Amino acid sequence: MNKVQIDEILNKVNGIKITHKRKTRIRVDVDADSLPTLLELIKGRASYIHLSAITCVDWIADNQFELVYHVWSYEEKCLISAHTRIDRGSEKNPAKYISVYDLFKPADFFERDIFEMYGVTFIGSPRMEKFILTEWNGVPPMLKDFDAEAYVQETFKWTDYNPDWLQELTDQGGGIAVKPEDIRTAGNTHNMSTHRERDKAKAAAVKANDKMQGWKQ
Amino acid sequence: MKKELKIKQKERTNPLAHVFDDFIRFCQSKSLFMLHYCTGCGAIELPPAMTSRFDMERLGIQPMVTPRQADILLITGYVSIKTLKRVILTYEQMQSPKYVIGICSCTVNGGMYWQSYATAKKLNEYMPVDVYIAGCMPRPEAVMAGLQRLKDNIRNDKKEHKGSAWKDYFKRYDYYLGNQQALFGEDWQTPTDIIAEAKLYGLETEETYGKHTKLLEKHQTPLLPQEMRIK
Repeated sequence: MNKVQIDEILNKVNGIKITHKRKTRIRVDVDADSLPTLLELIKGRASYIHLSAITCVDWIADNQFELVYHVWSYEEKCLISAHTRIDRGSEKNPAKYISVYDLFKPADFFERDIFEMYGVTFIGSPRMEKFILTEWNGVPPMLKDFDAEAYVQETFKWTDYNPDWLQELTDQGGGIAVKPEDIRTAGNTHNMSTHRERDKAKAAAVKANDKMQGWKQ
Repeated sequence: MKKELKIKQKERTNPLAHVFDDFIRFCQSKSLFMLHYCTGCGAIELPPAMTSRFDMERLGIQPMVTPRQADILLITGYVSIKTLKRVILTYEQMQSPKYVIGICSCTVNGGMYWQSYATAKKLNEYMPVDVYIAGCMPRPEAVMAGLQRLKDNIRNDKKEHKGSAWKDYFKRYDYYLGNQQALFGEDWQTPTDIIAEAKLYGLETEETYGKHTKLLEKHQTPLLPQEMRIK
């Protein structure tokens, strides 16, 4: 199957944008509505039978999730990546999309993973439940608005490490350039309300580091 | 500073008791069986440490396959919350005296994964740790040095009291259980009855009990043999 033939099949889908990256890679951008049609078409007509992964990207500024379906053909030795964007939803009304489990059985695994990490519900997927993070009860952790650093600061305690011999070295002008505590407080967001404050603190930490570096030289 | 916790000690009438104790400590330090729970990347340093290049066996330390027959629990690398549950179950199955060694920076303070929501940071909040071997990752020499330190600690336990961290788990069970409950939820329960064991070893103190153990008593179900079946 050459380039013209595959284009002919793909162009049957409305509003499709095709980009031939390489001989073995085709990027396709489609609407959320026509993605299942596209997958069915390339599976039935063009031997793309292996769904190797589903990827999710959180575009928080656009309030959208991007779903990428990677489908491989053993005969063509070519990977079609179908990109689509869905509404990001909110906490009360989480994002929803249709499952492709009826077309590709491995989708069960990938969709369950995305459900856990991003909170996207796939309608028609057989097991929309906890998968790997069985101990986790918070928001889906891969969301961009989940602040892992703030969570860590609230949940865990840290080991202090200030032995006497280190103090001796520090008195002589050596020791640790930037202490772990300083890095942690720079990233500590749960008592800093704005991003500006946080950036400021981080910049201060970087500055302190530079100062030490300069001093060493 | 930790305050001294009093335990009810049995009266010892044998005049040679301390001689026997010394002898037992000597023997213990010379023959240790190690269970390596390889959670993270630090495990890669253990094969050279155990095999002919560095040869751990000349220190009297051998690998063991089951927690029930092991003395040392070696935790190599980051401990995720999910793994921590298994580590605690493994630790509680081991017979006393038991020793824990945390290898790599991750067990000390989260290491390079300190920002991660999924890894536990301080191992000694959940179980008493005898020796930490820091480094990312420590070379086999450092592992050997750490084990040598542990051996010395066991040998000199009478003077320095560094080789009996395992007693702390029974003495301050409420503290450790509280930290575990904070992560795993209030209905956390292990199949081992630590309080009964504390009584057996004579290591009950006032801090063995507390509000966390009370919480445990509420929902603790007696142990039943598990049904074996394939789903």
